[in-house]
Amino acid sequence: MHSISNTDKLAQRQELFINLYKSAFPAVAKYVGRLGGSFDEAKDVFQDALVVYYEKIVGQPSTLHNDTAYLVGIAKNLWLKRYHQSAQNISLTDLDMPSDEQEESPSNNRLMHFLNKAGQKCMELLKSFYYDQLPLHEIAEEFGYSGVRSATVQKYKCLEKVRETIKEKALAYGDFME
Amino acid sequence: MATSWNETQQIEAVLLGTAQPGDALLFETKLMLDNELADKVMWQQKTYAMIKQYSRRQLRAEIEAVHQQLFTQPEHSSFSQKIRQLFSKR
Repeated sequence: MHSISNTDKLAQRQELFINLYKSAFPAVAKYVGRLGGSFDEAKDVFQDALVVYYEKIVGQPSTLHNDTAYLVGIAKNLWLKRYHQSAQNISLTDLDMPSDEQEESPSNNRLMHFLNKAGQKCMELLKSFYYDQLPLHEIAEEFGYSGVRSATVQKYKCLEKVRETIKEKALAYGDFME
Repeated sequence: MATSWNETQQIEAVLLGTAQPGDALLFETKLMLDNELADKVMWQQKTYAMIKQYSRRQLRAEIEAVHQQLFTQPEHSSFSQKIRQLFSKR
């Protein structure tokens, strides 16, 4: 899945997730287990919490005082909300839950599958910029562009290409998004 | 507006809220007169949503790979046993 060259970043994320698993997952598992939940439930909410965490810290030095406590807190709340609705104490309001409603529609899945196959390099470039928020000079280096300007042009070209693909496929599938 | 990516860049600035107020106003005016531009804005907005969705899927796959590593590889067996024990009593 990760055929593109950003292996360094991938390795860094892997190390981060292993460390967070080791520091935070035991507390989440203990909590879920004590309240009668299953291993899979603990895994499920913990992985979602990691996504929330990643999106919070990406592109900036962590401003959290205690990353482990933050993660454990998110995971506990997700578990209460999802599997233990009767619980009194559902505070923390609505987290920006990483589950998109549209994600499961068949045409959306087809489109995602298509973008995965036909436009992977562009999608990886766009992901690096918009989601992983890597600086352009790093993106240029990783994707083999001559410099920041060239990477910028390429980013917009990709954006246009994907935009046209989505439009074309959406019109063809009919029911995609709305 | 010589190149197409220039226009795409302008759309992005407006959608992501980074455009200067004057530019945003000018863009709004153009938008009212140009259906094709309005169409591009709509699809570009969906494109950002798709990029986010794609990225989350990739990230989840990475996290799942880490999970598998921790719960199947012998070097992590003391960790995985400790976790499993929390669920074995019932």
